[in-house]
Amino acid sequence: MTRWNPSNDDVEAVSPDITDETNALPAKYFTDPNVHGLEKEKIFGRYWVYAGHANAITEPGAYFTRTIGDRQVIIVRDHDDEVRAFFNVCAHRGSKMVEDTPMTDPGNMGRIRCPYHMWSYDLDGDLESTPQSFEEAGLNPDLSDDDVCGMNASENSLSEVETDRIGPFVFLNFADDPTPLAEQAGTLKSELEAMPLGEYEHATRYVSEVDCNWKTFAGNYSECDHCHANHQDWITDIELTESELEVNDYHWILHYTHDEDVDDEMRIHDEHEAKFYYFWPNFTVNMYGTADGYGTYIIDPIDEGRFQLIADYYFSDEAMTDAEREFVQTSRQLQEEDFELVERQYEGLKSGALAQAQLGPNEHTVHRLHRLAQEAYEA
Amino acid sequence: MTQGSQQDAPFVAQCAATGATVTTSTANEVVAFYRRRQRLLDTDIEWVSAEHRAVSQAPESDDVAYVLRELDDDFERGVPLGILAAAMSKQGRTVGDTLADVYDLRMAGSLWEPRSDYLRPV
Repeated sequence: MTRWNPSNDDVEAVSPDITDETNALPAKYFTDPNVHGLEKEKIFGRYWVYAGHANAITEPGAYFTRTIGDRQVIIVRDHDDEVRAFFNVCAHRGSKMVEDTPMTDPGNMGRIRCPYHMWSYDLDGDLESTPQSFEEAGLNPDLSDDDVCGMNASENSLSEVETDRIGPFVFLNFADDPTPLAEQAGTLKSELEAMPLGEYEHATRYVSEVDCNWKTFAGNYSECDHCHANHQDWITDIELTESELEVNDYHWILHYTHDEDVDDEMRIHDEHEAKFYYFWPNFTVNMYGTADGYGTYIIDPIDEGRFQLIADYYFSDEAMTDAEREFVQTSRQLQEEDFELVERQYEGLKSGALAQAQLGPNEHTVHRLHRLAQEAYEA
Repeated sequence: MTQGSQQDAPFVAQCAATGATVTTSTANEVVAFYRRRQRLLDTDIEWVSAEHRAVSQAPESDDVAYVLRELDDDFERGVPLGILAAAMSKQGRTVGDTLADVYDLRMAGSLWEPRSDYLRPV
């Protein structure tokens, strides 16, 4: 029985059994502003979250910034060729140090310097220097210079954020003692690392702001029951009945079989299919099967009712061919079709009429998404 | 002081690089949109429409300080930064252009911000 509001608003936690009628996340988790605040800690503060592509920063000192929830991070390549991440916060008095710098237009710096009082840090985060005013007490009549002990470099280093990688994809984790990325990713790590993803260059980025909760779009991405009615151009080359949705602990894979075989040169992977990977909580890798390249999505919440879709496309060269441009346009068409759908769904959810949705048997990927969200809220 | 609101009509702006548009109920939301886009794309935002009475009555001038002074009578608690940016778009100024001009004026002490993203002339 459908759980409408207000006649039947006794919602329940997401049932582990997809055949139960309470198999979906209650609607309030999509619309409540308090849940957005909760997710910043329980989801984006706990799981591995995608930061960006290592190819964007190939030289020592190259960096970009990333904002996840309220956390602002500098991702930088150090002198040992390691990609590291630090909170964009000075150890002195907490100033934001580096201006927002997108991955698509990275910067380069010899050291990380706070513009407030000019504290400088090495690329490994250690405090490198402070102005002379921190080494003597000329303005303080209660102290002599001998009372000033100076600043220990390593004890006053920047706050480092845990990083790890899957191939060229750099991930961050803000937890004190995070689960290893390899454990969260499972077989996704070996599967993606078997492909030469690092050989491809960033070609273009599209950022779209969409009026719905981020999980609404995540759920839409994760199933294709809606494709036949809503992506008619795209499905002309897809054999939906032979496709499969594979669910793992923290990721799921949508295998879409092509109607006719496609040249091997038009794919990175071996299988004759498109493979769309969703990695909890908000990252996807899109292996299209009809392009010598791949895409990634970041589904970044703005608030409970809006998110940004950050779509990046990678090809063999950063200058796209006409065919690649056309391919991206097709991908954009799919996005726009999906935006229409998820905004309509969210309008309905926001109305408050439905207390808890219900999922179909072939929406087991969405069920996994909802279960992970529920687990995170309860953790 | 006749208005005080920035919500007369929807405001429409677009990304200068990609053409992506945003429709908002307040002009300052366009500024927020600009900041989010800049963080991810480092691109500017152009106004498409801003049919607010204060915007339509604002003088056509390249002088941000002058336009701010003219708008000031309409807003009791400060001119929304987005309204000023929309008024400056009549001279072809992007959101980024106006924010850069406002920053320079602020740093010169020529205007003040009684609350975040609301401006008053000195």
